[in-house]
Amino acid sequence: MTQSPARPTGRTVQLMATCLCDAFFDDVAKATVEVLEHAGCEVEFPENQTCCGQPAFNCGDWPASREVMRHTTRVFEGDKPVIVPSGSCAAMLFHGAPLEFEKEKDLPTVQKLANRTWELADFLVNGLGIEKWPGRFPARVAFHRACHTRGTGSGEAALKLLQSIDRLEVIPFGEAEQCCGFGGTFSVSFPHVSSSMGCLKLEHMTAVNPDFIVSGDMSCLMHLGGLADRGGQPVKTLHFAQILQTALHRHG
Amino acid sequence: MAEQKVELFARRLDRGVQQAVHNNSAAGTEKRYSILGKDYSAPDDLRRLAGQIRQHAIEHLDTYLEQAEQSLKRQGAHVHYAVTAEDACRAVSNILKKAGAKKVVKSKSMISEEIHLNDHLGSMDIESVETDLGEYIIQIDGDHPSHIVKPIIHKNRRDIAKSFEREGLGDYNDDPETITRRARVFMRDKYLQADAGITGANFVSAETGRLVLVTNEGNSRFCLAAPKIHIALVGIEKVIPSDAELAVLLNLLGRSATGQQLTVYTEFINGPARTDRPSGPQEMHVIFVDNQRSQILASDCREILRCIRCGACLNVCPVYRQASGHAYRSVYPGPVGAVLSPLLAGKNFKELADLPKASSLCGACNEVCPVDIPIPDLLLKLRNRGHEEHAPSPGTPPMGAFAKLASSPMLWRFAMKSNKVMNLVPLEKLPLPYLQPWLKTRTLPEWRGGEFRSWIKDRRKK
Amino acid sequence: MSTAREQIFSRVRAALAPLPERTARPVFSKDVAEPHWLVAEVDALALFQKRAEATGTKCFTDLESCSAWLRSQGVRTVYIPAPLTRLAALCSEFCEVTSNYTRARVNEIDAAFTPAAGAIAESGSIILSDESTPDRLAALAPWHHIALVSRAEIHRTIADAIAAMPDDSNLIWVTGPSKTADVEGILIQGVHGPGAQACLIL
Repeated sequence: MTQSPARPTGRTVQLMATCLCDAFFDDVAKATVEVLEHAGCEVEFPENQTCCGQPAFNCGDWPASREVMRHTTRVFEGDKPVIVPSGSCAAMLFHGAPLEFEKEKDLPTVQKLANRTWELADFLVNGLGIEKWPGRFPARVAFHRACHTRGTGSGEAALKLLQSIDRLEVIPFGEAEQCCGFGGTFSVSFPHVSSSMGCLKLEHMTAVNPDFIVSGDMSCLMHLGGLADRGGQPVKTLHFAQILQTALHRHG
Repeated sequence: MAEQKVELFARRLDRGVQQAVHNNSAAGTEKRYSILGKDYSAPDDLRRLAGQIRQHAIEHLDTYLEQAEQSLKRQGAHVHYAVTAEDACRAVSNILKKAGAKKVVKSKSMISEEIHLNDHLGSMDIESVETDLGEYIIQIDGDHPSHIVKPIIHKNRRDIAKSFEREGLGDYNDDPETITRRARVFMRDKYLQADAGITGANFVSAETGRLVLVTNEGNSRFCLAAPKIHIALVGIEKVIPSDAELAVLLNLLGRSATGQQLTVYTEFINGPARTDRPSGPQEMHVIFVDNQRSQILASDCREILRCIRCGACLNVCPVYRQASGHAYRSVYPGPVGAVLSPLLAGKNFKELADLPKASSLCGACNEVCPVDIPIPDLLLKLRNRGHEEHAPSPGTPPMGAFAKLASSPMLWRFAMKSNKVMNLVPLEKLPLPYLQPWLKTRTLPEWRGGEFRSWIKDRRKK
Repeated sequence: MSTAREQIFSRVRAALAPLPERTARPVFSKDVAEPHWLVAEVDALALFQKRAEATGTKCFTDLESCSAWLRSQGVRTVYIPAPLTRLAALCSEFCEVTSNYTRARVNEIDAAFTPAAGAIAESGSIILSDESTPDRLAALAPWHHIALVSRAEIHRTIADAIAAMPDDSNLIWVTGPSKTADVEGILIQGVHGPGAQACLIL
């Protein structure tokens, strides 16, 4: 998934919180705001935002998805960078949307938004040039790089930030490139396959005894965390933004 | 609620078979990764180049197919064309009947499975024996391959030993070496007695007319050592511009498929026997088969025609590893099959329209594809097509209402806040069709809609 | 009524006509797919031997050690093309030597020498052509096959070997003994082709 080479990097940004954070993970959205503000950004939150339209896109109902995306392009009008604390929602904006609008007249509008979109870690490291994150977070962490960040700079960027934090240890684990099994509506239309994939991932991750399972995508963490919970062996999950936020509070 | 077919198959799959498929696939993935890393500093660049080569070839198929035909004829081969699977079967049996051929040995060819060639030949009283060990076992079991390169990864040695005993190849013996030796002895006779050898082709060079065949067993070579007639079944998309491109493609094929630099036998066939080189079959026929490929070329999923049938996408696919090949109900399983099979089904697209949905769209397939096929994008396009054609899709929530909600900010914000009632309700007890599959194996987090919005509103006020 | 050929070509042309542009033919250097370790390997013969051994082909550089190997393998009947009199003499000390490869004796002849048309150092492959090995079965059917490779005909790379392929020659590259991993992923050598592949480099 190639992204526009010349994405804007100004410090006034628009936040797309994602519908999952809107519904379940306000902590992650809050952490994202604090992290961006620490990095010197002024964060705007266009309150009419809803969703990127990915659920409908993945189901093949492209007309429904386009309806939602059109709303989203109106909400995020302008030239500012759009920051998304989710690899999959970011990928929907810069890859999925142009694909579903390939034959539509308003493709240029969608492409403009695509060209302004940054996943959070990618923005911090490759947009703002941050190499080291201050503070400390003593913990063993298993980092799950979400599938939708394949082919982008996000996974490496998140790892770089995490590894730069004092006392934080990122532990490698087996079959790390394999999907966690969430896949959006795949998780409910193929529940056995989805859960089997997730359990296999959990097996590999828990085998290295991490204190936290970390990712840049709450969808993956919701699925893995939910599986572990139901299975009677809960795990602690954190979005990397929460680690960055916590490290800040332990600075000095 | 009805279940998705691939889901049902995966759920019922014998655990032992699933483990075997998983382990074999994971080993294949590791071997590929290992050899590419050892040999190349930028393997992805090579994949992209190979992808461009194949894309160029299919986008100029009008030119290259014609050129390939001319080159083949120049070398002394007969060239035939078949529009449908039935046409292709008939073309084969016509050639055999004309020559009075009753016994055929076959080397592994996915396209011959596609057209159900063995069934057709059987109905015409022509014996056709699969010579690839895995395909032979499939044949005697009346089974179907579950992988495009390693057809019997779903079988164990005990299954095979029983089949060999039933087939009269000797008393029950499940030692893999013994099994292999028995096949060697048995097949030898077949090769030497056969009237014709039928193969596929990995590539056809338009410039020289060379057919390229790669195997590890040597069976395709044996099919062309003793018999007098060679029939090659070739999908029209297999044509490449020239021999020079083979340097790129052959270097990626073995590494991607089995972690080898090259397979044991890389055969370059350039016409039948002649007086100055009397070995090999005296008659050579190449049948170019369309069977929906020209339709696929016309579609927005034409990139799938780049495929060089290495099987790397199957090996890496987490869904394939859980479900195994037979879950795909077609000749081509795995990620490539999820795109190709519904398209090859032509007007019966809807019957296989569920296959593109059996994917979490993780993209691992595209990452390992030696010709860089954007498989997830093609799966999405096919999901769109399935939706337009109203193909049944159990377990998929309808999106119309969601779209309305997500386009109405006020409604959305209201729903965010009011859904908090979910936290007070025992969700598992509610017959909510799309929630139950989640709740069976996973808990749902606490609903906190509205929290972030009020937080950030307050923050702005300060 | 149009022929199958006409139908297919007209469909293909119709499929491609609407494309606003078509992917250009990629230009690439001959060595684009060469493994990076190849650059350091200057001696083609040494590289060939290394790669051949690594893929399971035994390499011999003199007649004596080659025939000694056959003797140690318990070979009973060997096919040696007529002109190779010294080799025939060495082998006749321990087994039957025939200069006639016939179908009738396919299962009896357990070793065969056939001249190769070259070799590839990069992959350790032996190149056989119908011109150099007139009977395909001779190289394929026996358990032991020994290819006679001339030092002068060792190509350095796969790309070189491809560029050197004669216009109308039927060729096969042999990279190690025949094998399969179809049964439970366990590697077994000697399926249909030779279980022991060797070359005698002269």
